[in-house]
Amino acid sequence: MLRLSSLVRFVLTILPIVAGLLWVNPVDLWAHDGQGGHAGALRLELPEGKECVKSAEWMRRNHMDFLKHNRDQAVREGIRVKTDSLKNCTTCHTSREKFCDRCHTYTGVAPNCFECHHYPK
Amino acid sequence: MTMATLERRAVLGLAGALAAGVTLAPGMTLLAAPAERTEASAGRRWAMLIDTTQCAANCTACTTACRKENNVPLFGEPSRDIHWIRKVEIRDKDQRRPTVSLPVLCNHCENPPCVHVCPTEASFIRKDGIVLVDEHRCIGCRYCIIACPYKARSLVYHETKRGAESNPDVPIRSKGVVEKCTFCVHRLDNGQEPACVEACKGEGKGAMLFGDLNDPRSEIAKRVHTVATKTMRPDLGLKPRIYYQGL
Amino acid sequence: MIDEFAAIEGRSQGYWKLLAGMGVLLLLGAAAFIYIEVNGHGVTGMNNTVVWGLPHVFAISLLVMASGSLNLGSMSTIFAVKHFKQFGRFSAFLSIVLLAGGLTVLTLDLGRPDRMLLIMLHMNFRSMFTWNVFLYSGFTVLCFLYLWSMFQFPQYTKAAGSAAFMWRFILTTGTGSIFGVIHAREVFHSAITAPTFVAISLTSGTALSILLLLASFRLTARELDLRLVHALRNALIFFLLLVLYLLVVEKFTKFYSPAFYAVETWILSGSFAWLYWGGVVVLGILAPLGVLFNAKWGNQVGGIAFSSGMVVLGLFCFVGFVLIAGQSYPLDMFPGYEVSSVFQDGLEGSYAPTLVELLLGLGGIGVSGLLYLLGIRFFRLLPRKAVVPQGWDVAWRP
Ligand code: HEC
Ligand code: HEC
Ligand code: HEC
Repeated sequence: MLRLSSLVRFVLTILPIVAGLLWVNPVDLWAHDGQGGHAGALRLELPEGKECVKSAEWMRRNHMDFLKHNRDQAVREGIRVKTDSLKNCTTCHTSREKFCDRCHTYTGVAPNCFECHHYPK
Repeated sequence: MTMATLERRAVLGLAGALAAGVTLAPGMTLLAAPAERTEASAGRRWAMLIDTTQCAANCTACTTACRKENNVPLFGEPSRDIHWIRKVEIRDKDQRRPTVSLPVLCNHCENPPCVHVCPTEASFIRKDGIVLVDEHRCIGCRYCIIACPYKARSLVYHETKRGAESNPDVPIRSKGVVEKCTFCVHRLDNGQEPACVEACKGEGKGAMLFGDLNDPRSEIAKRVHTVATKTMRPDLGLKPRIYYQGL
Repeated sequence: MIDEFAAIEGRSQGYWKLLAGMGVLLLLGAAAFIYIEVNGHGVTGMNNTVVWGLPHVFAISLLVMASGSLNLGSMSTIFAVKHFKQFGRFSAFLSIVLLAGGLTVLTLDLGRPDRMLLIMLHMNFRSMFTWNVFLYSGFTVLCFLYLWSMFQFPQYTKAAGSAAFMWRFILTTGTGSIFGVIHAREVFHSAITAPTFVAISLTSGTALSILLLLASFRLTARELDLRLVHALRNALIFFLLLVLYLLVVEKFTKFYSPAFYAVETWILSGSFAWLYWGGVVVLGILAPLGVLFNAKWGNQVGGIAFSSGMVVLGLFCFVGFVLIAGQSYPLDMFPGYEVSSVFQDGLEGSYAPTLVELLLGLGGIGVSGLLYLLGIRFFRLLPRKAVVPQGWDVAWRP
């Protein structure tokens, strides 16, 4: 008979080891090394121009999927839409630090796009 | 996606198709004006013809231009440097033919083994026949480097940084992913030729010819069908699209 | 029947020391992984000619042994050698833990391990790697079912065992095919590469099982009948001859064709010839055979253990040779021409492994070892004593 209790004990012994290893996951360490956090209200630099490529409300919620969808379209299908490209964001949101990053640190996400992609500031 | 965006896309698509259809001269559809929306065409097969008799041994115009255009760094470690295109010197083992210097780059094969082995479909064939690495999807397993018989691919071993002379239009090379020549897709989609071809026409002796094999009026289609050309390792059955003349 | 099995006590100092040792290996492996991940693969000895290094050698060796470890179970379930039934649980469990160790190293050596899950989202079914994802996970499931049936549902053991047995052949064929199907690499492109991997999994899996059984029984002061070890020795001899046969056939076929003269001559006398002759041929096959065929050593526990050790090391040499030599041999891009360039075209690849790679690889052994040690403590995997009835004996002895 395979005793349930021994199975449970086995799993309980392995779990802390795995959890411990995941805890020091460098990818995670990266994500949290900004000085961010919820310190007061979020202030974003106002973009140049009047309207975002979609409504601001929609962009706030969906810009990540929007960018990724556009990325797959551009890279894999060869369909490039000038206005929707990552490059185009820079024309109005001139500073990444004061716009994208500020919100990302606030919300605790760390997109790694700019390891490779260029953003002027 | 909302209805509004769908419509907008459709309209843009129409405009793009119109713009791409404008032919400046027979065989010159390549140089359509940059449009708001561009799309790779499934009917095209980009290819390159290299006239080795025109390729000077000490000329590195193509490799230099490629490094500059695509932000390909040199680490100064010969075994780990990234080469999207490189000059190779070949000597006949029987000493009967003269030594030849020629550029070797990704062959954009019709049957690319790198694409066959890629577990995540990060390596893929674009509609117009260009073999690309989707750097957003590459997990860095390096199986493709094992599979490629031309040593066209490199893993990026070190972190790279953007410098003052970096090309802002192209992402920099990021460590842990596999890279290779893209035929400068970003330029192609913009109606320009690859950087190496342009440099070869300028500083070099014009050994490189680039174009659409499927367009019977194009210069390259005519040349490939009339002069004797060779491809690398035809015995492997990969059907490369880099043709060498004068070997 | 069921009461013949017992978990080990696991209270002795020796047990804790072993556990700690494996834990240290695991932690060092984890540290090495983080170090590589943060600094990039530049801190390893790999380069753009030899892109798979020591971690892959460890990983693939562990995976090969994983399928081989199922031998003992298959012997009873498939080939009806009743006396091996007592090792069935041990064997299926060992397969699972070795697989875990190997896969850990394999995935942690990726250039972008953070994107690992993409494999699950986008699959290319032409890739041997994708196949292997299914082969490995399927094998784990089957081994688990097999193990479970042995614990609780003996009536299903035959079915589960047969499925696992079949799967293990496909699995190792898949592992071998990672190399065998690559046309560009002359050293390992061959239809016989995958069968050779299967054969070598038989030898190394059996050898590792012998070693672990001897050690586990001795350290827990349980009784292990020498005749059982002799039966395993006979199996090992048979498997070793099989590997030898495949190697000879391969060399024979290739040397018959002038197209392969250059690469085969390089294998047998080039810069990796020491690994081929010393590691694969002598250490992995001839020396163990010599010891096992010896009338004195071949019948002693010491001799059998020693040759098993050599066989396991031989496996590492074999995988190391296929991988490192296979990648180092220059690609023949322009047949009939000598090539040279700034990218080391036409030159043999060079590879000097660094400490971090070794630690990452050993980390895999740490994972497997730790799981094994914990497993035999929590589950009743090993028999209280492994004996055979009075009159029984092996059919042949040196
Ligand atoms: C034509 C100029 C323009 C371009 C190009 C542009 N934006 Fe905007 N963006 C704006 C304006 C204006 C707003 C509205 C700001 C507000 O209402 O507070 C905005 C708002 C946003 C918001 C919501 C900010 C908030 O206050 O919550 C996000 C997110 C955003 N943009 C992302 C992007 C991304 C990603 C791109 C690139 C695809 C992009 N934008 C391109 C002008 C632009
Ligand atoms: C109003 C706040 C806000 C602003 C401004 C903003 N983002 Fe984001 N972004 C987010 C949040 C929140 C997420 C995480 C969403 C999730 O994980 O589902 C995110 C996620 C992303 C992602 C996906 C990350 C991943 O790995 O999945 C990308 C890419 C991204 N943002 C790009 C940008 C760029 C480029 C800009 C500047 C032009 C920008 N964002 C501005 C809030 C913002
Ligand atoms: C490993 C480097 C790398 C990373 C990280 C990366 N990209 Fe890219 N990206 C590229 C390359 C290379 C291209 C191809 C350039 C081309 O064809 O023009 C590209 C193209 C694109 C494009 C299409 C071209 C354009 O400018 O519109 C988009 C959109 C894009 N990436 C978005 C993203 C987003 C969003 C992220 C983060 C979630 C990201 N990328 C992360 C390397 C990277």
